[in-house]
Amino acid sequence: MDGIITSVQRMSVHDGPGIRSTIFMKGCNLRCRWCHNPETFSFAPELEWIKTKCIGCQACLEVCQTGALRLTNGNISFNKGECTACFDCIPECYPEALHKIGRRVTPESLFSEIEQDFPFFEESGGGITISGGEPMLQKLFVISILKLFRTGGIHTALDTNLSIPWKHYEQLLPYTSLIMADLKAMDNELHEKWTGGGNSTIIRNIRNLDESGIPYFIRTPVIPGFNDSEKEFRDIAGLLSTLRNMKQFDLLPYHPLGNWKYVNLGVKNLLEGVSSPTSIDLQRYASILEEYGINYQIN
Amino acid sequence: MSTKSTNKFRYQARVEELKRKKLLQTKEKIAIEGLLDEDDYGRVVPPKDSWESIPNHPDGSFYGLEGWVNNFCSLMESHPVYVDPNDAFAGRWVYFMSRMRANKWNPDYPYNHLEEDIAKYDIISGIGDDAHFAPDYQLGISLGWQGILDKIHKYRKINTLPKQQLFYDAHERAVKSIQGWIKRHIEKIEELAEAENNAGLKENLLEMAEVNRRIVSNAPQTLREACQWIIWYHLASRTYNRDGAGGQIDELLRPFYEKDLAAGRIGRDEAVYYLACFLINDPVYWQLGGPDENGDDLTSEISFLILEAADKINTSLNITVRVHNGLNEKLFQKSLEYLVKNKNGWPRFSGDKALVKGFMNNGFDIQLARRRIAVGCNWMSLPGQEYTMNDLVKVNMAKVFEVAFDEMVSNKIQGLSTHYLWEIFKNHLAKAVHTAAGGIRHHLKYQKYNEPELILNLLSHGPLEKGLDVSDGGATYYNLAIDGAGLAIVADSFAALEQRIEKEAKIPWEEIIYHLKTNFDGIEGERVRLLMKNSERYGQGNSLGDEWAKKVSVEFTRLVRRESDPKANHLFIPGFFSWANTIGFGLNVGATPNGRRGKEPISHGANPNPGFLVDGASLGLARAIAEIQPGYGNTAPMQWELDPTLASKNHLNMIGSIIKAHFNMGGTLINVNIMDKEEILEAHKDPAKFPELVVRVTGFTAYFSMLTPEFRQLVVDRILEN
Repeated sequence: MDGIITSVQRMSVHDGPGIRSTIFMKGCNLRCRWCHNPETFSFAPELEWIKTKCIGCQACLEVCQTGALRLTNGNISFNKGECTACFDCIPECYPEALHKIGRRVTPESLFSEIEQDFPFFEESGGGITISGGEPMLQKLFVISILKLFRTGGIHTALDTNLSIPWKHYEQLLPYTSLIMADLKAMDNELHEKWTGGGNSTIIRNIRNLDESGIPYFIRTPVIPGFNDSEKEFRDIAGLLSTLRNMKQFDLLPYHPLGNWKYVNLGVKNLLEGVSSPTSIDLQRYASILEEYGINYQIN
Repeated sequence: MSTKSTNKFRYQARVEELKRKKLLQTKEKIAIEGLLDEDDYGRVVPPKDSWESIPNHPDGSFYGLEGWVNNFCSLMESHPVYVDPNDAFAGRWVYFMSRMRANKWNPDYPYNHLEEDIAKYDIISGIGDDAHFAPDYQLGISLGWQGILDKIHKYRKINTLPKQQLFYDAHERAVKSIQGWIKRHIEKIEELAEAENNAGLKENLLEMAEVNRRIVSNAPQTLREACQWIIWYHLASRTYNRDGAGGQIDELLRPFYEKDLAAGRIGRDEAVYYLACFLINDPVYWQLGGPDENGDDLTSEISFLILEAADKINTSLNITVRVHNGLNEKLFQKSLEYLVKNKNGWPRFSGDKALVKGFMNNGFDIQLARRRIAVGCNWMSLPGQEYTMNDLVKVNMAKVFEVAFDEMVSNKIQGLSTHYLWEIFKNHLAKAVHTAAGGIRHHLKYQKYNEPELILNLLSHGPLEKGLDVSDGGATYYNLAIDGAGLAIVADSFAALEQRIEKEAKIPWEEIIYHLKTNFDGIEGERVRLLMKNSERYGQGNSLGDEWAKKVSVEFTRLVRRESDPKANHLFIPGFFSWANTIGFGLNVGATPNGRRGKEPISHGANPNPGFLVDGASLGLARAIAEIQPGYGNTAPMQWELDPTLASKNHLNMIGSIIKAHFNMGGTLINVNIMDKEEILEAHKDPAKFPELVVRVTGFTAYFSMLTPEFRQLVVDRILEN
């Protein structure tokens, strides 16, 4: 059993309790415009070119057969559309400006890789978080990972968009210590327009989650132009106020810190130029939540 | 209770005034004395037409018992008095007497036999260096100055050889000169009190005078007296030869505080004010918390008050919290809060588990091991029992590597391989360590003729009793430190060669030899440099670099340990530390196979090279440094540049967990810097704009504005790359 991931982020402090290692699965069924992990959209391995690391030695040009890497006005440039993902350029790139994103791993190899951080998990009450991309698209692989780490006494969290039918989640609940799920918007049309998928399954699953008995957090990204209206926040707060077992609710203000990833991947960033919500905006949303008696954290 | 609590004397305002004055003093020091890559020391600038040393040797320097005592007494006689009505205590130090000599080592005791290898391996030999072991302040505050004089009188009757009589004469003169210095302060305090119009300040001065009248001879009885006594001793010792070792300060002061409280002589605010004045006097290395001999935690109310006082002054401070299983969790949490709140590099954290276990590996029992505490820059000491040469003797292992590499290249008979290079490196490392140990032996043999430890002898157990200098058999234990520097340079260089040449066959030996010679010049040189730099590095976890670092650590440890000679009561203890020598060491080493250009600084202490890990660098650092500890009770500190975005109240659990996990895995000491990248860049451009910015350079903290541009650059690079 193996699966494809983009990376393991050590010392993650925003993906559950304590110090955590977050495993980012590759492949997603949504295309959220604000996503700061665009490298997780596709299941297939892809090439990343980090311009700031390139020293212009041109060694890559000698092996690139398609011209995806080429000289433009005397400078090296990367045209993703022409890249066949052969990755022959990578061994030639000594400055490591070229990277392959996406590696196949087994649960056991992940365990070996992450094991070195167990002492930090133990001290802090941390563990692993499986995120993405959408982890449920590699369900069997994810179940194997959760099983292995839980058996090893490690806290396990799953970060999911909850867009997969509930019966699939039921299979991994026994091995999951915590689920973190997104509630992006209540308006189905808006949700579909901005993420590429509707929210009816998600809302149904949130209710299932509340009944399941498993600890869970709900997280709402605050995206300018998308869900930052009073109506949306009132609708979100309305749903949240009906939940009885939610442990934590997080507001995740949009940040443009992932913009460089779009540049490196050669992918169009639909939110280019959009700024983070101001503290005044956040306070406005927070006051709506307070009106509905919702405890929240801003992360 | 003092009437100062009746609001005539506003503690917070006084402390603010002392802070303001200290900033002015620092500014003045920079203006007059220039920049300095070391501790702040709390020293103030000497007056013009100041004291000059009295040579007793044709080379213009002074040596031996007579030379030192004559100079010290002369200096004490003319030493300026320092009294501030806002301060609870009198006294500041102004002269580095040990640096006012023409020459550090008495040329009558040459070490020509060592000089060639000292230069070849770029060894800091420590020959003729001072102090770097801890006095037992408990002894001092129990005896007082008269008690010390009585002790001298007692043992001079027992040890009657002429040279021993001279020994006691010198110590008696030194003590009396300190008393004379205190008396001159008393006169000044009385004079100021007489002229003072502010009732609160006047009362403070009158009490200050009374405190000093009592302790000029007698042992201290109150918290204020104990603090003032300790201050006089360390000011004298600092003046004599820069000694800055501290002690278990909470436990030293606890009985006085509790007695004052029980007698209704003191309130909490007053105690914090005294402690703030005590701490601002000098950034001495004090330990808080930790186990007593039986393993019970030493934390008491005054431990918290000391942290509170430190927070009030928030200047350059060197307080270490000793983390052990029984540590008061509230003290630990409080120390984390202050670390994050002030972002001024204090406190530091010391790892009891590995330090105790390590010291026991020398054959000592657990009680003694627990008494060995964090009282110096990187170092541990048994107060009053040990002569150590801590942080004085360093082997530049990057230079040793260069020597080995050059030998391999020039002697191709056995081919080029990391296996062969390792064999040559081991051979040269053995010679380098033996040279360093030889330097220590030479120092121990002749230091009494060069620079006897007149002041530290007073608070050591043995020198006065035996009539022998602490460097010359007076101490109980001789646990002698040799530190390796440049561990990451060596480990990453071996790893890069093994990975890129031998495992991957990316480049041939000849090519790397060429690029090292040409300092990675040109675009192809840069390409190869990055290839080598991007190899599996020390700190990444289960990497080739980690493997080599462990290998180097084991070998260095073995080589240092084998220099021990139980018959001579000499135990050699290894550590990894570079202090502020990373720039100087780097200047003597050409380009190295890990992608470091020639003359660039070597790696810092036990730390991996900057930029070793993109994600989870803090965890990688904590893990890697725990794994290369030599394990005999000296430290290989973790210098932690913590991202300020993680340094918030919300993340105290994370920071505390990393500290505890590091210590559970074998770590010994953590120095933390929390620096905002923008701020440090701004401060680098214009240091004068940031007079209060303090950085933990290494084991010590310093005002950023006092560092030389080269050193500021190093600190900036370290912070940016991590």
